[in-house]
Amino acid sequence: MLILARKPGEAIAIGDGIKIRVLEIKGGQVKIGIEAPAEVMVHREEIYLRIVEENIRAAAEAPADLSSLVSVFGDDKTRNKPPLTGGR
Amino acid sequence: MQAMAQTTCTKNKKQGEITIRTSRFGEMSIDPEKIITMTSPFLGFSGSKRFVVKPHGKKSPFFWLQSLDEPKLAFVCIQADILVPQYQPEISNLIRLELQASPQQALDILLVLTIPKDNIEGMTANLMGPVAINPQKRLAKQVLQDPVSYDACWPVFTQDTAE
Repeated sequence: MLILARKPGEAIAIGDGIKIRVLEIKGGQVKIGIEAPAEVMVHREEIYLRIVEENIRAAAEAPADLSSLVSVFGDDKTRNKPPLTGGR
Repeated sequence: MQAMAQTTCTKNKKQGEITIRTSRFGEMSIDPEKIITMTSPFLGFSGSKRFVVKPHGKKSPFFWLQSLDEPKLAFVCIQADILVPQYQPEISNLIRLELQASPQQALDILLVLTIPKDNIEGMTANLMGPVAINPQKRLAKQVLQDPVSYDACWPVFTQDTAE
């Protein structure tokens, strides 16, 4: 891994299109500004990993037969209602 | 004998359909016009860019997104508004641009379901990573949402009935 020291206001250029700038350091937190082309996805790592994990689980467990699912799903009163944010 | 590393696409004589090989459904004949292309792949599955929708049945709200590039890869999905009518994922104009959709154009929003094998009622929907599809261009993308607003494994059924 390449390790560089930067002060607030200083930046790192990656290739032609990506710039990562340290904006502020305060209370154990670093604020970072990122400029990147639209097609480059930029996400907090934990969100990215969460989606990877959930995609892998969904793909691994996807059953080939869904018929039992339909009967369960038809029973509307057991269906969940808001909130849309959950435990994890 | 197992041959699952490769998807074979062979031309079929009738009406330009192609045959794909899948792990779950064996060989499937599909219309090439119906292939959906991911503008960026599902996270964790960078080898799969092309999918087809395989409906579960006329009365069923479920369907599979079956990969053409990885025979083993299929997601069970449901249209978001059927499951969660109040769900309003944020789809930015940049993402619309990527999907070649105008700002007004309606996009299909799908939710990927995780269905535990031995506990169907433990089913969850990934509200944090919905799939937006431009049905006209057949372009799709998994669009990450704010984790504060949306859960990646939102329980479809209430806890007390899941038992």
